[in-house]
Amino acid sequence: MTSETVDRVLDTPVHRHRMPDRNFRLWLVFPAVLLLLLIGLFPLIYSLVISFQNLTMLDQDTSFHGLMNYAQLFRDRRLWEAILHTLLITAVALPLELVLGLVMAQLFLDHMPGRQLFIALIVLPTIISPIVAGATWRLMFDQRYGPVNQIISWLTGQQQVLLWTVNPKLVYPAILICEIWQWTPFMFLILLAALSHVDRSQLEAAELDGARFPRIFFKIVLPAIWPVMAIAILIRGVDLVRIFDVIWALTGGGPGTMTETISIYTYIQGFQQFESSYTAAIAFLIVALMSIVVTWAIRRMGLAR
Amino acid sequence: MNARRRLALPLRYAAAIAFTLFFIFPVYWLFIISFKTPAEIFSYPPVWYPKSIQFANYWVLFKDGDAFTVWNSLVLASISTLIAMVLGTMCAYSLVRFRTGGENLAVWIISQRLMPPIAIIFPIFLLYVWLGWVDTYHGLIILYTAFSLPYVIWMMRGYIEEVPIELEESALVDGCTRWEVLWKVVFPMVRAGLFATAVFTFVFAWNDFIFALVLTRTEVITYTVQVTHYFGGQSNFWAKIAAMSVLGTVPIFLAVATMQRFLVRGISMGAVKG
Amino acid sequence: MGLLAKWASMLAVTAFAMSAATGAHAESAAERAVKEAQKYKGQTITIVWEAGLQALDPLNYSGPKWEKLTGIKVKVVEVATAEMFTKIMQEYRAGTGAYDALNVIPSWMPDLAQAGALENLDPYVEKYGFNDELQKIAPTYRDNQMKVNDKIYGFPDDGDVFVFYYRKDIFEDPKTKEEFKAKFNRELAVPKTWAEFDEIGQFLTDKYQPSMYGAAFFRQAPYAQFMFQERFRNEGGKFFDADTMKATINSDIGVKVFTDMRNENKFMPPGVEQWGFTENLAAFLAGQTAMTISWPPYGRWAAGYGKDEEALNWVPKSTISGKVGYALPPGGHPELAAGFALSVASTSKNKDAAYLFIQWLNSEDTSLERVKLPTALRDPFRDSHFTDPGYLKLWPEAKEYLAALEEGSKTGLLDLSLLQTDKYEEVLRQAISKLWAGDDPKAILDEAASQWDAITEKIGVDKQKAVYANWAMKSGAYPK
Repeated sequence: MTSETVDRVLDTPVHRHRMPDRNFRLWLVFPAVLLLLLIGLFPLIYSLVISFQNLTMLDQDTSFHGLMNYAQLFRDRRLWEAILHTLLITAVALPLELVLGLVMAQLFLDHMPGRQLFIALIVLPTIISPIVAGATWRLMFDQRYGPVNQIISWLTGQQQVLLWTVNPKLVYPAILICEIWQWTPFMFLILLAALSHVDRSQLEAAELDGARFPRIFFKIVLPAIWPVMAIAILIRGVDLVRIFDVIWALTGGGPGTMTETISIYTYIQGFQQFESSYTAAIAFLIVALMSIVVTWAIRRMGLAR
Repeated sequence: MNARRRLALPLRYAAAIAFTLFFIFPVYWLFIISFKTPAEIFSYPPVWYPKSIQFANYWVLFKDGDAFTVWNSLVLASISTLIAMVLGTMCAYSLVRFRTGGENLAVWIISQRLMPPIAIIFPIFLLYVWLGWVDTYHGLIILYTAFSLPYVIWMMRGYIEEVPIELEESALVDGCTRWEVLWKVVFPMVRAGLFATAVFTFVFAWNDFIFALVLTRTEVITYTVQVTHYFGGQSNFWAKIAAMSVLGTVPIFLAVATMQRFLVRGISMGAVKG
Repeated sequence: MGLLAKWASMLAVTAFAMSAATGAHAESAAERAVKEAQKYKGQTITIVWEAGLQALDPLNYSGPKWEKLTGIKVKVVEVATAEMFTKIMQEYRAGTGAYDALNVIPSWMPDLAQAGALENLDPYVEKYGFNDELQKIAPTYRDNQMKVNDKIYGFPDDGDVFVFYYRKDIFEDPKTKEEFKAKFNRELAVPKTWAEFDEIGQFLTDKYQPSMYGAAFFRQAPYAQFMFQERFRNEGGKFFDADTMKATINSDIGVKVFTDMRNENKFMPPGVEQWGFTENLAAFLAGQTAMTISWPPYGRWAAGYGKDEEALNWVPKSTISGKVGYALPPGGHPELAAGFALSVASTSKNKDAAYLFIQWLNSEDTSLERVKLPTALRDPFRDSHFTDPGYLKLWPEAKEYLAALEEGSKTGLLDLSLLQTDKYEEVLRQAISKLWAGDDPKAILDEAASQWDAITEKIGVDKQKAVYANWAMKSGAYPK
């Protein structure tokens, strides 16, 4: 798709003022940028510096070691497997959360008795601390003490033995279920807000013209909510890459390192084994990779025009 | 159209209930753990409804002072959300309407969210030790605000882009200053977006664990850190974990339930089109 | 004898009598600590403690008591078990001086000492005369969990040892005994070997399931790796070849242990691979398993000790009090899994005050009271604890309980403790999770051994070899 056709599909170009007041627009940006610089700059420089050193648990060697840590990155099979696992989870969870969130938002868009209560209840999963959510699901998935296998046994009519956090075939489904359960409400609420902004009169006009729902949805609704939806996808995608608590609570990265993601690997290296320099190098690799992907995504989705 | 709508309602209702059940069931499970006896928590087959409802576990949290950590989380998350929403929306408006800093600034802002917390927590810890901000409220508030800004800015960009510029221009013509246009025209128009963004900005700060772990010791412990105290090598205070979690969800539940009307734009766009 | 000599001998006798008298009045280490601490009156010291149940000791008992005796305030910094090492290291590396006294798990001591985070306590022990009472700590803890490279870095403060718990009533049930004898041609008795254990476990499960299973363990990887360390050594395995420093966990013994562990799961409750400390506890206390292995608290809670304590209301009520027997695990050498030692942070600004506090905590007098607290997670670790009349009265079977603990403290095996121990343990944890996932034991252990070798290489073979040699020399490293 060329950028021209993209422009045509995205029916609502961004409006801008003609003659901006220079000070005004800078004052608007200034406080936020200042805060970001204050907190963001030092860690970045520090991490960069130590990534060229050799700080480990035993060695506080701050001499320059060149690209030693970065070279190790490429030899580290466990790291690349972790990246693969992370991509796998993101690639499955993100679309599911998006579609589910969209369906639910559409469902709750129009008035319905008790809607207020439903929405408030549905948002609850995201408020539970991810650590607690992971622990609760772990208990729920327990063969003996949890209701999940009990429910499945009822549905299938026979006693099931499913070791969700141990069986290699079940660990990913378990993680995905927990993750999607916790964050679909996020997509849901955001898309609900976006859908509620869609111009009613346009929708009604199209209906009067005889258009059916799918056509209305794809031609009018989707383009209208695209700015928000695209950002939600971006944000959610970036957060999925950092998934940690749920997996840590359910499987600890296991069996073996089968469900180890980037965050878990970095946590073990940085927090438990104090490989400070190597962890910094990993962090920069991740930032570099993600920057490329995010910049590509931003351009592709036309978000920064 | 109306007839079709009326038919669809029972179906929609059924679907709504099904979805809500799926999302609420684990929360319910956690909730009833706070009332179960230990034997009921670890009973085979699992107990779906506890024999008696006592509030002893909640009372203990208040008595021992653990509930105070919920208050800490509340303070930290609310204030940082408020500041981030204001500063972030202002910044987003500038980015959208005036293309301030162009694409580069926008991309730089979101890149602030890409750095894994694990990698930067130690330098931030060092910075805070030097500043004397470890284990303080303002320290964590500033941190959470800074980390929420990219999210707020980017989300509000999207919502602001949806606002037709004609509204703002007609207000300018009417004699409003630019600040007034921002506060009196734009902010109300993106109410729903503000609300949705604020909810999750709050949630991200509320759920933070790693920064709170490293940057607090005894004074400003947040509820997420406190909850991990209940997972021991040789102990597992499930009732407290559950009760704390319930206490933690109540504020946001009430907020979402009561402020939902912001989600739906009341009057339509008749003012401009009609 | 001349007059001078007579006077001299009278003087000598008098001197002797006087010293004997003052000897009888000799200050206990606790008293001395309190006395010396008076000069720090009004100060505050911080101590890092495991969060939750453990922390109730300094929060409700020892902290307030110390303040009353000395005027020194104790600020308890509770940290979740999983984060303790991280926080201690980070605060040290940042040089904050925020912590004065510490609780450390002994297997961390080489790393923390090497990094410089712990204060060497020898000068203080000398200065405040603690050596006598230190020697009275039960041998295995004293000789294994106190020093790194012959320097004192911590006082062992917790008698963590794996105890074998079993249902006496089942083992003494006439019908069960009869059937067992008929099948195996020997008496039903506490298993001395793992082979016996497997037979008994299978037999009991066959007979009683599903209301009760022969046994269950906490099979979750972090716990199971302790059990592997124990069992592997009981069966004769060695972790490393002392000369080449190559890992030997993938020997035939290792493979056998892994295979046996997995086979045992078959007669345990379904899903046991996911069980942690509390799941296992709940099953045992509900009478659903006949045998298990765990730390000393199981024994106290099974007997119902402390059941009315609010802080223990998360422990399921015991349905088996009076029916529990205590023994050494099969093999006879239990793991001294984890444990705790009291240390002083090297960056503390109140080292003497902090030291005096831990001396007082660890002293004969105070530690006895502390291990008897109903909510205590600190287990008896001094010789005097095992024979204390007050303890013996706590519940009817306390005598057998303490006897088992004492026996364990004599024959116990130390956790592997090298430089970067966590890296090696991490490999074991992953190996166990792969075991439950169904992989081939030999393949898993071969992989684990090669990972261990890689870690040793990275740290420096000679460096690690020296630390390992030092560890292997300790009495609790391998069964004698």
